[in-house]
Amino acid sequence: MEPLIKVTNVRKIYRMGDERVVALDNISLEIYRGEVVCFLGTSGSGKSTFLNMVAGLEKPTRGEIYIGNIPIHKLNEEQVTLFRQKNIGFIFQAYHLMPMLTALENVSMPLIFRNVERKKRNQLAKDALAAVGLKGYENRKPTQMSGGQQQRVGIARALVGTPKIIFADEPTGNLDTHTTKDVMQLIIREVRKHNQTLIMVTHDRSIANYADKVVTIQDGNILKVEEGDK
Amino acid sequence: MNTRDLLSLCAKNLMRRKTRTLLAIIGVMVGTCAVVVMLSIGFGMTQSYEEQIQSYGDLHMIELYSGGGGFQGVGGEQQGVISDKTLASIEKMDGVTAVTPVVSAYMTLGIGKYVTSAEIIGVKPEVLEKFNYGLQEGRYLNNADKDVLVFGSQIPYWFYNPQSKNYESVEQDVITDKIILTADWNYGQKPQSGTADDDKVEYKEYKMKGVGLLEMKNDSPDYCVYMNISRLEEIVKETAKAEGQRTTTMTGTGEKTYDRAYVYVGDINDTERLSKELKDLGYQSYSPIDWLASMKETANMIQGILGGIGGISLFVAALSITNTMIMSIYERTKEIGVMKVIGANLRDIRKLFLMEAGLIGFIGGIIGVILSLTLSLLMNTVLRDLISIALSSFGAYGTTISIIPAWLIVAAVVFATGIGVLAGYSPAKRAMNLSALESLRNE
Repeated sequence: MEPLIKVTNVRKIYRMGDERVVALDNISLEIYRGEVVCFLGTSGSGKSTFLNMVAGLEKPTRGEIYIGNIPIHKLNEEQVTLFRQKNIGFIFQAYHLMPMLTALENVSMPLIFRNVERKKRNQLAKDALAAVGLKGYENRKPTQMSGGQQQRVGIARALVGTPKIIFADEPTGNLDTHTTKDVMQLIIREVRKHNQTLIMVTHDRSIANYADKVVTIQDGNILKVEEGDK
Repeated sequence: MNTRDLLSLCAKNLMRRKTRTLLAIIGVMVGTCAVVVMLSIGFGMTQSYEEQIQSYGDLHMIELYSGGGGFQGVGGEQQGVISDKTLASIEKMDGVTAVTPVVSAYMTLGIGKYVTSAEIIGVKPEVLEKFNYGLQEGRYLNNADKDVLVFGSQIPYWFYNPQSKNYESVEQDVITDKIILTADWNYGQKPQSGTADDDKVEYKEYKMKGVGLLEMKNDSPDYCVYMNISRLEEIVKETAKAEGQRTTTMTGTGEKTYDRAYVYVGDINDTERLSKELKDLGYQSYSPIDWLASMKETANMIQGILGGIGGISLFVAALSITNTMIMSIYERTKEIGVMKVIGANLRDIRKLFLMEAGLIGFIGGIIGVILSLTLSLLMNTVLRDLISIALSSFGAYGTTISIIPAWLIVAAVVFATGIGVLAGYSPAKRAMNLSALESLRNE
């Protein structure tokens, strides 16, 4: 099977004044469609940099990143934005919902950017909210919801329009253990249902248990790759 | 992102920080209002100048007198001669609607036992209509008319009975064929005894027909009576003969010349130019428009100063919009990043911020215009007496202090919106260039 994401010899160096900081040394990796991959590492290990690069938010200093047959590292900002609109959903640690918008409006944001017609996008957003168990919460503002509920809205926003890949950067970092479990189960269930690829970044070992593949990153290099039991 | 979604997002963003948005809007509102009100006072002044000048006379009319001094170049043609030939060439000048030579005589008019004296103006019969005097009654002169008169609006009120005791005026219907025109000052009075018969000049009495009464103009035509110039010339000649003077033909040979002519300009915007061109041709020309140029200059200058004062406050308002937008971008750095990550493209981000800034300008502009209209109304009513004292020091004594033309309303709103967009440009660019990563680096 062709890998969905193919990362070859990626290196990233930040310049901080005269100092050069190596965020990623040399990473090569393949991720397949429908896989749930977890990147594990301490703060500063380079795992977030890696995620950003695969999402096209940052360009590697060297190396190649292909998603399908599209060279992400070669696209300009405009092209990468268009690609993200259609293929990638994001879940953030701090939810990052728009405070002035209702849950429904927040979920439909990605569709608004894609110019999806109003009626259709409202229906899609409604369905996505129902899928994360927030039926009836459509018109609530983020401030009127708990952290767990807000993150569910964030998940619905990532899932709406069923993108091929979901990125999740510390998706449960701001949640208590009980809610963490609910949210994680929810994410996994939805991703599996639509055969989407999930790429998570976390420093929490317990999260890694939900993954098919756990990649441990340390000092900008892959320390080890553990394949799950499945 | 379509415009409707953008607009709704903008509105929601603006509603988030109500006080700050409101303050920015108030800034624009005050600025717009200042500019509009100041300009409106300038327009009011311009109009009051125009009103004043119109009271000096008809702005369409240039009165022409033959060139001054009677200087005759050696062998050359005399400049500024009014003759049929030169008038024909004046008539061909761009903007001139009608031209006539003018002969005038002060004569007595009689209707029955009532008499009055008035200036009889001889013009080419067909021009009266072109002069746009307007008719209350009857008709203008036509080419076939000889002993026919058209009256200025005030003449009918001037008739009195010289044989009555108190000379009380009695209004006469001048549309009649029982009018007597004569140069005899004593017409209608009782023959005075003791006057030596041999001194007496035998003035002719001409039977005239009144055919038209002009509209009231509050100008010299109100006090004149018009008739065919060639007929009036005959009458003047006969009168002179009767009085024993020699014939009036000054230049024994050559063409006939006149002392005076009227030039009627169709569009008052041409009057000033034509008046100057005629002066350059050697004529002495007089038109009330001559006053207007300097007055307009004053009005423009004052309007410039006033508009400048208003402009400064609008400039300050623009700064406040920029400030509001920059603050807003600092606050929303993360949001902007998130929007970029979940698929907003750069143009959308820029449009969003430009539109927010433009919206502040637009709303401020609208309210500012409404406020200006209210203030303008107040100035023209309640505050009028107070302000007119101040303005009269600039020589503007108009009835209306502030005039806001429709185009100014539109222009003000467009301008305020434009200022907003312009002020938002640099913050919007900054938002567009913000790194999307800022929002993700929050571990």
